[in-house]
Amino acid sequence: MNQQEYEKIEQQVTPPTPYISNLLKAFFVGGLICAIGHAITYFYIIFFDFTEKTVGNPTVATAIFIAMLLTGFGLYKKLGQFAGAGSAVPVSGFGNAVISAAIEHRSEGFVLGVGGNMFKLAGSVILFGVASAFVVSLIKLILVTMGVIEW
Amino acid sequence: MKKLVFPLFLSIFLFGCNEEEKTIEVNNASGEEVEEVTTVIENKDEIYSGRAIFVEDQLLVAVQAKPWLDYKKTKIEKDLKEQLNERFPNYEITVSADYKLYWEAQKLLTEEATEKVKEKVEKLKKLSKEET
Repeated sequence: MNQQEYEKIEQQVTPPTPYISNLLKAFFVGGLICAIGHAITYFYIIFFDFTEKTVGNPTVATAIFIAMLLTGFGLYKKLGQFAGAGSAVPVSGFGNAVISAAIEHRSEGFVLGVGGNMFKLAGSVILFGVASAFVVSLIKLILVTMGVIEW
Repeated sequence: MKKLVFPLFLSIFLFGCNEEEKTIEVNNASGEEVEEVTTVIENKDEIYSGRAIFVEDQLLVAVQAKPWLDYKKTKIEKDLKEQLNERFPNYEITVSADYKLYWEAQKLLTEEATEKVKEKVEKLKKLSKEET
């Protein structure tokens, strides 16, 4: 059996990827997470002194806190298996990446284990966010100084 | 199950299409001012709902932009403020498309005590300027 024959057999045996149902699952679960996030947003606007401009921070913090609880109880794993990217793309997926790494390396100690490995997965996301935010704000500052746009 | 998906989608999408009447509410002020502020908000197509609060020399206008035009909020606020400034030169005007101000304005509509309303309006003005 040569390589081409093997590939042919392999493709026959492999079950087809259910793209449509994966897409729908990701769409609805991701949308559900975002709808919950929006409900939290309105909760903070109505019951606390937050405006639409300032409500982002407490909402993100709450979403990450909920993701932390779900990760700790092992429920986010199940959600991730079901919904795929639908549960990974919202900010709760980011929280899950940080917290699951922290839980995994707990046995190695708090400094070298938890501290050293916590941001292994999500650290690049934070770095990319900070660096790109700096560049974007620099571009905006230049445009505002030139008078093209306003703040 | 699969047959159900399409009608379900359609009904969800079409829910957004039912055009509702523009609601404009103004608290107790003299008739002329109410009429004028109502026409100004009425003529703005991007807005679907507005609330205006008159208290002493302050005028607080809280509006809600139509969902698809939400990204134009700052422009809508600016335009509306300019138009109101022309008509009410004696008032200190605050215009906001923020949901927080819209929500609080609803409570102020029925509030009778001027002192309380003024205090609340001052607080909302401060809140609307907050950035972080």
